[in-house]
Amino acid sequence: MKQFGRVKAVDDVSFRAEAGKFVVLLGPSGCGKSTLLRLIAGLEEPTTGRILIDGRDVTKLAPEKRKVSMVFQSYALFPHLSVAENIVFGLKVRRLPAQKRKERLAKVVELVALTEQLERKPSQLSGGQRQRVALARAIVAENSICLMDEPLSNLDAQLRHGMRVEIRALQQRLGMTVVYVTHDQVEAMSMADRIVLIREGRIEQEGSPEELYARPATMFAARFIGTPAMNLVALADGAGGAVIRGSADVVLPGSGAGLTLGVRPEHVRLEEGAAGTGVRATVTSAEYHGADTIVTVQAGEETLFVRAPGQLALAGGAKVRLAWDPEAAHLFDSETGLRAVDVRQQARVAAAQHRKTG
Amino acid sequence: MKHVYGWLLLTPAAILLVGFTHYPAAMTLFDSFFSTGTVVRPSRFVGLDNYAALADDPIFWQVLGNNFWFALGTIPSAIALAMVMALWVNEKLPARALVRMAYFTPTVLPMIAVANIWLFFYTPQIGLLDQFNALFGVASHNWLGDPDTVLGAVMLMVVWKEAGFFMIFYLAALQSLPPELEEAAKIEGASRWYFFRRVTFPLLMPTTLFVLVNATINSFKLVDHLFILTKGGPDNASSLLLYYIYQVAFSFFDTAYASTLTVVLLALLAGLAVLQFLLIERRVHYR
Repeated sequence: MKQFGRVKAVDDVSFRAEAGKFVVLLGPSGCGKSTLLRLIAGLEEPTTGRILIDGRDVTKLAPEKRKVSMVFQSYALFPHLSVAENIVFGLKVRRLPAQKRKERLAKVVELVALTEQLERKPSQLSGGQRQRVALARAIVAENSICLMDEPLSNLDAQLRHGMRVEIRALQQRLGMTVVYVTHDQVEAMSMADRIVLIREGRIEQEGSPEELYARPATMFAARFIGTPAMNLVALADGAGGAVIRGSADVVLPGSGAGLTLGVRPEHVRLEEGAAGTGVRATVTSAEYHGADTIVTVQAGEETLFVRAPGQLALAGGAKVRLAWDPEAAHLFDSETGLRAVDVRQQARVAAAQHRKTG
Repeated sequence: MKHVYGWLLLTPAAILLVGFTHYPAAMTLFDSFFSTGTVVRPSRFVGLDNYAALADDPIFWQVLGNNFWFALGTIPSAIALAMVMALWVNEKLPARALVRMAYFTPTVLPMIAVANIWLFFYTPQIGLLDQFNALFGVASHNWLGDPDTVLGAVMLMVVWKEAGFFMIFYLAALQSLPPELEEAAKIEGASRWYFFRRVTFPLLMPTTLFVLVNATINSFKLVDHLFILTKGGPDNASSLLLYYIYQVAFSFFDTAYASTLTVVLLALLAGLAVLQFLLIERRVHYR
């Protein structure tokens, strides 16, 4: 736990990063993910709790004794030093012989493709090149652990994609353990072996990208992963089962009040015309994205997004029907935001315990 | 029509600049080639005679030497002190604003006031310094009356006065350095001294150059304290070039010779500024 004054920045967070894995700390800005990274690096000291690296308690250890490298959001390159000097800065601090420094430098600049820019100053480099220098400085130390704090947030979209692929490839080639902080779920999904989703200083959900996508534990997790975000619509009791608020078409058997239904836009099938099965809805607008079209529809009182492949010629006001596979539907407790199945499980466990003790 | 407006806008400033800076400067140079006129003997062209007299003037050489030692004694120590103070008050420390203000106070005070305070320090027997020394049985000393100690005593006061001013520039520069640089160095295991030597100090170079130029100019320009403390004495031991010019012009009323001295002072300052830029420019990293 880390407390700044009376504010708890990080509270009761516990996770493991397996050696050689790419772990992403994901969360909205201000959720405490950067603080977490700085705690691991040793730039902040936890108020309570422990940090272990390779089984060794490093909680009270100075940053340089932890054998970790770090890439900063702003790159933190030394503006007056050349690219080469920047990269070997740490090696010089550790008094590595000049010959060794040269060898390591040559190896690293080869890896990040900076051979041509060695004598330049950071101000003469493009954003992507600066990023590479920061990366090179982190990997030249040959630490097995590398911490990255939103390293791609200063790059434009196109470069970001390229660097994503590059960082992931580099991590796998060198077998590094990477703890990577980002607020961009696309980065998390595409790079991570494991995602730790953080909200307000606490872990919301932890798992592989597939798990987070397929089985979000909370409404927050459901909303955070995927673009456009998962549709979350309030359910109500209707004749014959649960219905979307304000709609008459049954989406689930049983009671719907107090539950929220989650369906990803890409899992919703759209059929034209008002007659037939499915949830009836009205098209509000259609946004063409090239490979697909994002259709906004109104079903009852709720607005949903549907991701339909290709181009759809749908005018506003058109009547459509929505359908999805049962396994694509997620149920959440509207009150707590927790996955409803888990809520029911908890209730069962609590009831069982009650029986035992009572 | 357009450039007429431009000129009109420039005129007020131009009149002041020409009237009070450029014309006097040109006239000074002009006057230095003439003799000082009196009622009976009007001024006449003497060529380089004034400069020849200057080369033969032992007081000029003594004053120039004083100024050299004065600059050498005050500039590096004031800059070093300013840097150390700035580094210190840039840290997280209790009552930081108060400490910063305390360091800056000497700058706010007029030089005349400062000189009066230090006059009290240096006064024999009743001065603070002598009273303090008396506690340890050290004999009273006339700090400002002894040709051997007077320049040192004045230099000490000037360093005290100037360091706080330069500190503000260093503080501003330090605060513009991103804190990640220090963190990045920390993770690499750089000690504070190593980080200062390899990162902070080089990144402060533009400020150092600026401060250096200012300090140099000040060491020739600031002579107010001499009026209060020593009047250049004893035996010109604490006189500086500008104070000597003042004496020649307004005590001895030798305007031609004062003009000559002024030309030399200006040439000296211009030369120093050019030298500093040429020497240091190459080693300064501007962001």
